[in-house]
Amino acid sequence: MTSLSRPAGSFREIARGRLADPDLQATFDGVTGRLKKHRLATWDGLEDPERLRSRAYEIRMRTIDDLERHLAAFTEQVESRGGHVHVCASAADARKTVVAIARSAEARLVAKSKSMASEEIGLNTALEAAGMQVVETDLGEYIVQLAGGHPEHIIVPAIRQTASEVARLFEQVEGAPVSPELQELGQVARRQLAHVFRTADVGVTGANFAVSETGSICLVTNEGNAGLLTALPRVHVALLGLERLVPTLDELAVLLQLLARSATGQPLTSYTRLVNGPAGPGETDGPEEFHVVVIDNGRARLRGTRYREMLACIRCGACINVCPVYRKSGGAAYGPVYSGPMGAILVPLLTGLEHAPDLPHASSLCGACTDVCPVKIPLHGLLLELRKDLVEERITPARERLAFRLWSLAWSRPSLYRLSTTLARLGQRLAPRVGPGRAWAAERALPPLARRRFRDRR
Amino acid sequence: MSREELLERFVRNAEKAQFRVHRGEPPAIEGAGVSVALHGLADTGSVVLAASPNEPRARHLLGDVHVSLLAESRILPDLATLFASLERPLPSSLSIVTGPSRSADIEQRLIVGLHGPAEVHIVLLPA
Repeated sequence: MTSLSRPAGSFREIARGRLADPDLQATFDGVTGRLKKHRLATWDGLEDPERLRSRAYEIRMRTIDDLERHLAAFTEQVESRGGHVHVCASAADARKTVVAIARSAEARLVAKSKSMASEEIGLNTALEAAGMQVVETDLGEYIVQLAGGHPEHIIVPAIRQTASEVARLFEQVEGAPVSPELQELGQVARRQLAHVFRTADVGVTGANFAVSETGSICLVTNEGNAGLLTALPRVHVALLGLERLVPTLDELAVLLQLLARSATGQPLTSYTRLVNGPAGPGETDGPEEFHVVVIDNGRARLRGTRYREMLACIRCGACINVCPVYRKSGGAAYGPVYSGPMGAILVPLLTGLEHAPDLPHASSLCGACTDVCPVKIPLHGLLLELRKDLVEERITPARERLAFRLWSLAWSRPSLYRLSTTLARLGQRLAPRVGPGRAWAAERALPPLARRRFRDRR
Repeated sequence: MSREELLERFVRNAEKAQFRVHRGEPPAIEGAGVSVALHGLADTGSVVLAASPNEPRARHLLGDVHVSLLAESRILPDLATLFASLERPLPSSLSIVTGPSRSADIEQRLIVGLHGPAEVHIVLLPA
């Protein structure tokens, strides 16, 4: 079992709380709006963005169709340079593998850079249970860790914390007052984490991509924390989602042109790093051990399904920033790791639809997500497919299924259809006051029906 | 693209990425880390640093100020040309640096110099 899902009904509950909080509403609107604006600004710098998107889609799908071969080639390359590859079928396997690597390194302190895969498998809890101290080094993740919460946005984990809240969290570590002034907060974080970089025994990073031709993993950050973790600790463990392989460096270049642009609106982030193995001979830094932990956790079985395109996702967050539902509900409603349209699809697919039955409905199906996806995943189409599965697998409540069956029966008979339009006209004053009509009309207007039906006009 | 155009494009984009670009003479900055860049990328204004016994992986991330020395003749158009020109086997690690360390994780406001340097220089060495 992964740590991805939430009980049914919680989406509505959490989202309601968020809707009632005007400060949070302003934050979600502000941040997603700015990220969207930045993305649009760099997008124009590309010569032919549509061609690039199509090429990216083609690269992703071709690789996913042939994952075994690419994984084998990647493994061979990594091992030829003295690295190790561990393929883990489940979240539990992946946790066990990383804990075992850290144990054999006799690690006391594990430093991490941002990795959604790590959140997905619940790694921190497992390392802590094994007696190790775990510290997140991405500023947003560090704040979230100190606050004891979960990331609310895959690109901006601490989207909801204000500078004053961050100052209070830093004060607990500092044991002294911290000013909420922005540059001061940056300096305090730098100081608190510098010690972590220097003394960590194991560095755990994610992997934005892995290149099978060369056995490289690729990491992008703006802060430089991932780079430090691939250089200073004795052991480097990179967590790689099984589907993030790319055949060649040339194809990696295509995806890198899209990733940072879609995420933060930069042509490239400040740091793009390729790691091709442990420290080379004569090198004065770099780890003695380099491990890549490849996480399947439900991914491989999606390849044969009509959801296979979801495996193309490069975790840029562009769909989240344009989603009218996310912009109101925030990330927590979707669960602790993935949110927005990509989360509403990925979480049910990875955990089972019955564990996240409300997520396919967390969408207006406006299609903005599909429009911005840099790898052309038909996101809102997949949400619709998931809704179909909810009905076919009888996860949708029996009453709702019955209601739709009756509706469909009635409207496939002209006499009952006519009767229903007559009743609708007569009943439209009553509808907002009783039953489901009342719940609907509480927050929006029911569209008025014409006094005379079109068919009655002569 | 001619060599002059490539150079001019590199300088423009490096400055956009908040590098300070110098021609020929390295600035005198006490305590600055200095790296020799393998390549520059004109499209993004990036410097490419390859790990080797003389170039530790973390050098460009330590300290508040970092200087990269880049021969003008080593400037390439973009990522794709860089990846095509890399000799095999690849260095143990390769870093493509496009500006200072930064974060917008608090209220989406920019902090410069988080874990890495806040001030980054490129010194262009004529061919």
